[in-house]
Amino acid sequence: MSRSWSRTSPVVAVTAAALAVLTGCGGGGDGASAPAADGKPVTITFWGWAKGSKDVVDAFNASHRNIKVTFEEIPSGNAGGYAKISNAVKAGNAPDLVSIEYPSLPEFVSQGALQDIGAHLSDDVKGKLLPQAVELTTLGGKNWAVPFDAAPQAFYYRKDLFAKYGIEVPTTWAEFRAAAEKVKKTDARTRIATFFPDDPTSFQALAWQAGAQWFKAEGDTWKVDTTDAATHKVTAYWQGLLDAGLVHNHASFTPEWTSSLKNGSTIGYLGASWGAGVLKGTLPEQSGAWAVAPMPTWDGKPASGMLGGSTFAVTKDSEKAGPAVEFATWMATTEEGVKARIASGTSSAFPAAAGLRPVAKEAFDAGFYGGQDIYALFERAGASINPNWAWGPATGTTNLAIKDGFGKIANGGTTLADAIRAGHEATVAEMKKRGLKVEG
Amino acid sequence: MKARAARAPAPVPAPALAPKGPTAPPAPAATPTVAPTIARARTGAAAVLLAPFFVLFTAVMVVPIGYAVWLSLFTEKQSGLGFGGTETVFTGLDNYLAALGDRAFREGFGVLLGYCLLYIPLLLAGALTLALLLDSALARARRFFQLALFLPHAVPGIIAALIWVYLYTPQLSPVVEAMESGGVGFDFFSPEGALPSVVNIALWEWLGYNMVIFYAALQAIDRSVLEAATVDGAGSWRTAFSIKLPLIRASLAMVALFTVIGSLQLFTEPLILDKGTGSAVTSTWTPNMYAYTAAFDRNDYGLAAAASVLLALTAALLSFAVTRLTGRRAHDRKEQHA
Repeated sequence: MSRSWSRTSPVVAVTAAALAVLTGCGGGGDGASAPAADGKPVTITFWGWAKGSKDVVDAFNASHRNIKVTFEEIPSGNAGGYAKISNAVKAGNAPDLVSIEYPSLPEFVSQGALQDIGAHLSDDVKGKLLPQAVELTTLGGKNWAVPFDAAPQAFYYRKDLFAKYGIEVPTTWAEFRAAAEKVKKTDARTRIATFFPDDPTSFQALAWQAGAQWFKAEGDTWKVDTTDAATHKVTAYWQGLLDAGLVHNHASFTPEWTSSLKNGSTIGYLGASWGAGVLKGTLPEQSGAWAVAPMPTWDGKPASGMLGGSTFAVTKDSEKAGPAVEFATWMATTEEGVKARIASGTSSAFPAAAGLRPVAKEAFDAGFYGGQDIYALFERAGASINPNWAWGPATGTTNLAIKDGFGKIANGGTTLADAIRAGHEATVAEMKKRGLKVEG
Repeated sequence: MKARAARAPAPVPAPALAPKGPTAPPAPAATPTVAPTIARARTGAAAVLLAPFFVLFTAVMVVPIGYAVWLSLFTEKQSGLGFGGTETVFTGLDNYLAALGDRAFREGFGVLLGYCLLYIPLLLAGALTLALLLDSALARARRFFQLALFLPHAVPGIIAALIWVYLYTPQLSPVVEAMESGGVGFDFFSPEGALPSVVNIALWEWLGYNMVIFYAALQAIDRSVLEAATVDGAGSWRTAFSIKLPLIRASLAMVALFTVIGSLQLFTEPLILDKGTGSAVTSTWTPNMYAYTAAFDRNDYGLAAAASVLLALTAALLSFAVTRLTGRRAHDRKEQHA
């Protein structure tokens, strides 16, 4: 059993990377010409996984003669997509344009995997976009990506079962806990929502909503504090829910989670704007039974963090930054681009371009939510996104350490607070190792 | 080919014959004796037969290992906030020190040790028992059982892990449900349950495979020895323990060696448990996973290479030790017999 083919050794992985380097070198710089300079279209490649991407690319290719986009669907970022992108950049055979979510953008920038697209991004375009989203894609005074959607938080719930159990939709976290207790009391195997041990970003969005600021860039120094008062409040609250067994502890988007939604033992989902499309796609038989509410808040006033959200960035070695940004801008800021994606039926993206939200609303079939105006709700939540949050340059390390801790919480192996502290320590150590200036 | 052409210039220009170089008719001028020609032909044939091995060995073993060692000596540095790009810097052995100094990496070896202590005895005992049962005179439908027991090994590790994750997940799994209704509550994803969960998957995959090895060894035992034992009045138990087991000791040692080395590579099954569930299996649970995570989640290729090299060294030392140990024992036994 020593040389089983099913066990991939790191040496093999390194070899693969090495071979990729060798083969990649020959592939660069093919036919990079200005759009339509010689009458032939410029071909750019685009990697992404967001719902509806294929439809958007098809619509673009059908309506544009000077640029042709080749789309390749890759696994979602944390499921291997990011590793694929960084390896391709290292190997020199990366596509021109890639999807990157806000949390991971600073890490890609600090690794030198992307290029500054400021020259191709006009103030006119920037002015159309949600300022918080532009802020998150501007690092060190340069523009690194075109923000596509904002991802304000939202609370999805089973309207029918809430009514059946006599539960009011909670508006504060105190009410949420009371509702959670009532759900559990009414039906011992049913819970109001789920804690995702595999997904630190859901927790980070909750901390963000509470006003936490994990990363601050001051001058040329990073200030890291994942254990501020706001975060502490959130960890204590969720530890309480977990200890009392008031929420399920299931990995996100796994068969376990899905089956509990299908059989009605989970009747709510703390997610974000894009989750509307996911639920709709996952649970077609429950159409009409779901509704969306604003995320509960600490003081009853609207507040939101951001959970995920996509941007489009141009890779380091691409010689077609101009056309790539043109395509990205088309996807993010034109009516046709947004319409093509939402009309695919599976996307409920909330465009960062404010002027296009009516278009998105029109294109999204809200029958699943009983015709509720979910975009108006996202609009209010989007306006309440706490503007102080920034992502650090070592998100990969931060989130791995937190996820490793979260996995042990279910059995009392560790606590939320300890898991977050482990994330803090791993992050600071990693940043120091890289030679960054860091305090924390 | 060029060298051969120079050694034995053919009178007629016949490049088509070149591939047969060594056996090509000797040139008229070069006929001092026959022996050197044969010797040369032999070396040539050996070279031709060995070349593919060395070419592949170099391409898929030596070069990648060399590249990994090379990578392990460098790291990427940034400055300030880090948005100004990276610089590759030579760091000597710093990556090795960083890996060894990381508690997560060291704990990975602890997990491996626990895994070996739990897995290897169970595997050997289980495979041996099954092989002896099949080999015993009582066994019926031998072919069927042989195939049925071997079948799980035909399932790729990653698929097996996915199936088992399903069987471990509460509320999805009929197994967990049955256990619960029987009053047995066991959480396969808990910190205590993780190791047994992985061992169970590995056992399921490898038991049948090793059983076949043992069974083949048992079948190779001279039947007259067994008949003699029966004539002398030895029962099935006695025959199994005093005759059969000692006679297949060599396969036992081989399976143990392969299993130890294979265990060091533990990766696929825990990775699935880590990525696909909210289990207590961490992203750095085994040294192999540590290297994988360092490279593909943390983008630290230097650290990943250093961790891989350290793991490879451990495997090399361990196999050397085990081979020496088992080799000496076999040697001692031969001397005793002589």
